[in-house]
Amino acid sequence: MRGFFKAATALCLFAVTFSSAPFLHAQGNAKSNAPSKIRASAIRVEMIRSDEIKLPAEFQVALYENLIQQLEKKGRSVSWHVYRDGDRNAANRTDLVVLRSTVRGFKQGSEEKRQVTTVAGATSITVHCQFIDNQGKVLLERDINGKVRFFGANLKATYDFAKKAATFAHQNLAATDGT
Amino acid sequence: MLKITALILICLSALTVAAQNVPPAVSSQPQTPIKSVELVGLAGVKENSGGTLTVGGGKLLFVHSKSTSGIAATAMEDVVTGNDSQRVVRGTLGALSMFGPYGSGRVLSLFRSKLDSITIQYRDADGGLHGVVFTVPVGKADWLKQELIAQGARTSIPTQAEASAGSSQSATTGEKQ
Repeated sequence: MRGFFKAATALCLFAVTFSSAPFLHAQGNAKSNAPSKIRASAIRVEMIRSDEIKLPAEFQVALYENLIQQLEKKGRSVSWHVYRDGDRNAANRTDLVVLRSTVRGFKQGSEEKRQVTTVAGATSITVHCQFIDNQGKVLLERDINGKVRFFGANLKATYDFAKKAATFAHQNLAATDGT
Repeated sequence: MLKITALILICLSALTVAAQNVPPAVSSQPQTPIKSVELVGLAGVKENSGGTLTVGGGKLLFVHSKSTSGIAATAMEDVVTGNDSQRVVRGTLGALSMFGPYGSGRVLSLFRSKLDSITIQYRDADGGLHGVVFTVPVGKADWLKQELIAQGARTSIPTQAEASAGSSQSATTGEKQ
């Protein structure tokens, strides 16, 4: 009986090892094929654009300010410099990347509905983020979403977006010591 | 007769031009501080900080916890007002009330107070664009906006008073034509 259990355990272990091998191999390949990071010493954040979608002014400003705050927070570890839209000091920087954000979708929920029903009244914002180099070439782009589902004011969706955008930038940009 | 008509017309056009160039009257009332909450954007101020707003000396001043932050009215590129509402029972008590029995916390969420918001975009000395959002009691945002415009701020959306003045002006010119 004991021999049977030993044999069964060994068989299970062998099966698990054998079946997981292709997945591990694929993961290794994915890591080696991952795109290299964009090298930049500074980011200039442009004001959020909302040409097609009517976005309230407080959302536009909150998106911009939260984005700058979160990029500065993430940039502390990799020593980026974050410039604001129109900052004259950014003109002297080499390896400058411009972050252009355009609102693609906006659904203004209701804090009251969220507090009363929990499930209804979510606010969501979808922003198309583009990282552009000095020559105007788009280096990287992605749609990033910000949401507030349960607790908090509507503007909390802008904070959610900013955190996600800063994480995306942190994952894809590598700091250089360019001046 | 022709000369007199021409003279009257010249005088009238000169008066119209002069009336347009008169700067908007700045109210001489003493500046009373307005209770407000800074939601986001003011440098050196924590988010959701309570304080008071005053307009004076060409500046918007936000006084909070023994310190003062100021924005020059002339640096303001856009001043926009909006409206919102908030729960009457807020803060720690408000959070605790959400756990009340039989959905009483949810019922409390239906009791709300209205408030105005004022959004300002301005440039710093280096030309960098900043934005700040304040909430103020109902009816104060438009007054604040008018005060700031009188001190040199700009706006993309004219105030109700300006809009009505503009429409009456266009109506009079239409009548003349």
